Amino acid sequence: MDFSSPPMMDPQELRDLKKTIDLGFRDFSRAYGDAIESFFDPLLYFLVWFEKLLVGAPWPVIIFIVAALAWFGARNWFVVVGSAVAFLAIGYFGMWKDTMETLAIVSMSTFLCIIVGIPLGISMARSNRVQSIITPVLDVMQTIPSFVYLIPVVMLLGIGKVPGLLAVCIYAIPPIVRLTNLGIRLVDREVLEAADAFGASYRQKLFGVQVPLALPNIFAGVNQTIMMALAMVVIAAMIGTQGLGQQVLRAVSNQYLALGFMNGLAIVALAIIFDRISQNYGKRLQKALGKMA
Amino acid sequence: MRKLILGAAAIGFASLISHGASAACGSITIAEMNWASAGFMANVDKIILEKGYGCDAELVSGDTMPTFASMNEKGVPDIAPEVWTNAMREPLKIAFGEGRLHAANANPITGLGEGWWIPPKTAEDHPELKSVLDILDHPELFPYKEDPSKGAFVTCPAGWGCQLVNANMFRAFDMANKGWVLVDPGSSAGLDGSMAKAVERGENWFGYYWSPTAMIGKYNMVPVPFGVDFAGTDNWDGCMVKPEQDCADPKPSAWTKSEVQTIITDEFMQKGEAAIGYLKARVYPGPIMNGMLVYMQENQADGADAAVEFLRTHENVWTQWVSADVAAKVKAGL
Repeated sequence: MDFSSPPMMDPQELRDLKKTIDLGFRDFSRAYGDAIESFFDPLLYFLVWFEKLLVGAPWPVIIFIVAALAWFGARNWFVVVGSAVAFLAIGYFGMWKDTMETLAIVSMSTFLCIIVGIPLGISMARSNRVQSIITPVLDVMQTIPSFVYLIPVVMLLGIGKVPGLLAVCIYAIPPIVRLTNLGIRLVDREVLEAADAFGASYRQKLFGVQVPLALPNIFAGVNQTIMMALAMVVIAAMIGTQGLGQQVLRAVSNQYLALGFMNGLAIVALAIIFDRISQNYGKRLQKALGKMA
Repeated sequence: MRKLILGAAAIGFASLISHGASAACGSITIAEMNWASAGFMANVDKIILEKGYGCDAELVSGDTMPTFASMNEKGVPDIAPEVWTNAMREPLKIAFGEGRLHAANANPITGLGEGWWIPPKTAEDHPELKSVLDILDHPELFPYKEDPSKGAFVTCPAGWGCQLVNANMFRAFDMANKGWVLVDPGSSAGLDGSMAKAVERGENWFGYYWSPTAMIGKYNMVPVPFGVDFAGTDNWDGCMVKPEQDCADPKPSAWTKSEVQTIITDEFMQKGEAAIGYLKARVYPGPIMNGMLVYMQENQADGADAAVEFLRTHENVWTQWVSADVAAKVKAGL
């Protein structure tokens, strides 16, 4: 026996297999591509509308909204002033439009991830079988190199906002699902027994006891999802999503040091602002819950 | 001075070798550049020169600048089958002037270069779209997904040199006012993907690409003439290739011609005799070159495999380049 190389498929057969997969996907894309594309059309229209809204809005309004969000989330003057100054700096260094485009795609994908992710997390928490199916899928989504799924996404949906949004969501949705699941599973059994003793229905138990008690964990998930969505901005730019990511790519391929750092730091600024707001909000929720208990 | 001495040494050395070489063409080296089409051409040359002309040919790997420098200073390798000369026009002119290098073939591949392309189906369905000017009047045929009232022109990914040219072209042809949007595909994968998706689905597509490439060959993309002449090198080098702020008044222009040449050393010029006749006659029709690139991509074939495949399947092409006698020898040698 020769152990120098493992048993391998015949190279010709391997090539044929790869070709068959490629052709199969091509046929699938030809047959269903248009339908899938039009399924996402409402999302596209909403994204385009939202981006136009952000880009077209007067800058003081945007800064006011950001500051108000910061106050509402963090109740901390330092965060509020910091956010406003960061946005002023972004505008001053000529990155306003790109930042608004990035903001649009990141907030939309976070929104989408929350809508899809929380119900998924809840269903995982309620059934071990669902959990055992979804967990490996989430593992794949988090670890598969994003370039691998960019190609099929582009073949199906072309280049632009929607494929970018989907690429971001594939990578950013796992934390919210995992932490929703974890949060609900961590709710005290005794609390649930008490709820049962009061004769709470399934629905009352879920929305009156489990989800509220899991909120701090869910918020940690939202926070992580936002962070990962921002991290994916540059990858999404590789399939034509406008925004800061595209400037970073431009900087990379031309060795423009300053351009790269400025746009990179703008992404960092967005990340820190979002992080402080959502994290502090989560903490405040936890405190409020602590008082209740 | 150093150059002169080196040159003198090289010539002395060269004459030594050519005296020692056999009457046929002796041992020669061919540069195998590190991209697909050049690797393929080098391998075809190797087979034909070996089998047909009795040379003892060896491939040496290379890249445009290092190979040029080595040929110019050391006289090795003897043949560079595919050299893109746009980037090195000046040094090449000097080398030609000094007689150290010669262009054996100033156009070894037809139909090559950069430009704007449409899928074959679009060209078939809309025969009235004869030039870029015609297409620009019909943005509605190429709707932009994110704003269907506009036409989409797919440009180069951010950061490529051609992105600047396309952006200036966009202004020169006044495309914004004609209802067009410049769509940045973000990366070469994005550019390839957007073209592939459109062609596979039978949609219209209008954008930038270049040939010879497997993509152009695979999808039989149709180059669109610009409908205007090349507006001079002043406009091109002084404006088109620069960032927008340095190019105030771009003029509509056809894309600058890419030049590819087969370059040989002076030594080979002296001793190559019949083989040079072959190099001069060796012109690959663009579609066939693209077809070979598709073959290489689909079968993960290297230049050597592709060369054999080409000599087997495209006899009608390459037998035109050589005498019947040589052709017979090559065929027998396959």
